[in-house]
Amino acid sequence: MNLPAPDGNIALTVISESILTTKRVRLRPVEESDLTQFQRWLADDELRKWLGSVNEQPSVAEEFDWYVSKRQDPDTLLWSIESADGALLGNVELRLRPLDRRAEVGIGIFDRGEWGKGYGTEAMQLVLDYAFGELKLNRVQLATDLSNARAIRSYEKCGFIREGLLREHRQIDGQPSDSVAMAVLLSDWEAR
Amino acid sequence: MTVVDDVRLEGELVILRPRVDDDLALFARWHGNPDVRHWLHMSEMPNQTLEVERQRWQIARNDPTRVSFVIETLDGVPIGNIVLIGIDVAHRRAELGIAIGEKGDWGRGYGTDAIRVILRFAFEVLHLRRVELITDIDNERGIRAYEKCGFVREGVLRAKRLRYGEPLDMLIMAVLRED
Repeated sequence: MNLPAPDGNIALTVISESILTTKRVRLRPVEESDLTQFQRWLADDELRKWLGSVNEQPSVAEEFDWYVSKRQDPDTLLWSIESADGALLGNVELRLRPLDRRAEVGIGIFDRGEWGKGYGTEAMQLVLDYAFGELKLNRVQLATDLSNARAIRSYEKCGFIREGLLREHRQIDGQPSDSVAMAVLLSDWEAR
Repeated sequence: MTVVDDVRLEGELVILRPRVDDDLALFARWHGNPDVRHWLHMSEMPNQTLEVERQRWQIARNDPTRVSFVIETLDGVPIGNIVLIGIDVAHRRAELGIAIGEKGDWGRGYGTDAIRVILRFAFEVLHLRRVELITDIDNERGIRAYEKCGFVREGVLRAKRLRYGEPLDMLIMAVLRED
């Protein structure tokens, strides 16, 4: 992967998913055994509703295909999220655009018994530390459903700022649904 | 997902025809003009040789979520290109990209006409619900054209891209089927 160095020159940097930890959560590379668990969780209609990109529960084979395509993309970083005691919770990915020093982030706590406990917020903060501190990115962005109040609150806690309202950005159950575009900049993160 | 090989879309000032392999030299010439590149992500890329254009086109041509047209004047002179990318059938949306590569033809309404034509295609043939775009915040001519075509400003994306290495805000705009 090519990442511009802070001085603006293009430096060839090889990055793999590092293990990132706080007291409560741990981000580690996805293992194949995680995939069957992700696939089982994705049977949950409400979970899929918030995930934007997953319309139907994938088969196990499709879930493996998804993983392989992520592995093969040099500009995608993917971690599994687990609690401190090693229980799998979900995953988070960064899709890098080195040319513009930015990334799009996608995160999901798939185990709904663990929703509302702050795991997602902590995992996101770890990813932002890595994106700005290690990868020297300038901007991390996402789009989420306007009605996903829990997620928006979590993103705002991490420093994301609302930048726009995307009208009818998605369809949920055949109905148009608005999204919020949010981003955190390096300068926001440094000033936190 | 959509075969556009035989599609010819006619507007009042321009015709859109599918981009073909033989157009490479045209694109290399258009993208070789610094004034054209200024508004494109290519401002950050090395100069567009024919070989680089060929590699980019190989990827674009095989992307099932993309349709690529060349914009021609009514008398058949190619002046630029227009694309829909990221066509998402599930969410019925796509992103628009356009560039008039012949700088002498800027400001003549060709771009506006081409956008109106491709929007009709997007909404009536592809049955999309939303077409969005992002553009440099200081691209006043572009923004004016987009507004003429019904695009509405939805937000400012801070430091969305680099231009000559410097962070630049971009405007996100969209037009909905019902607009």
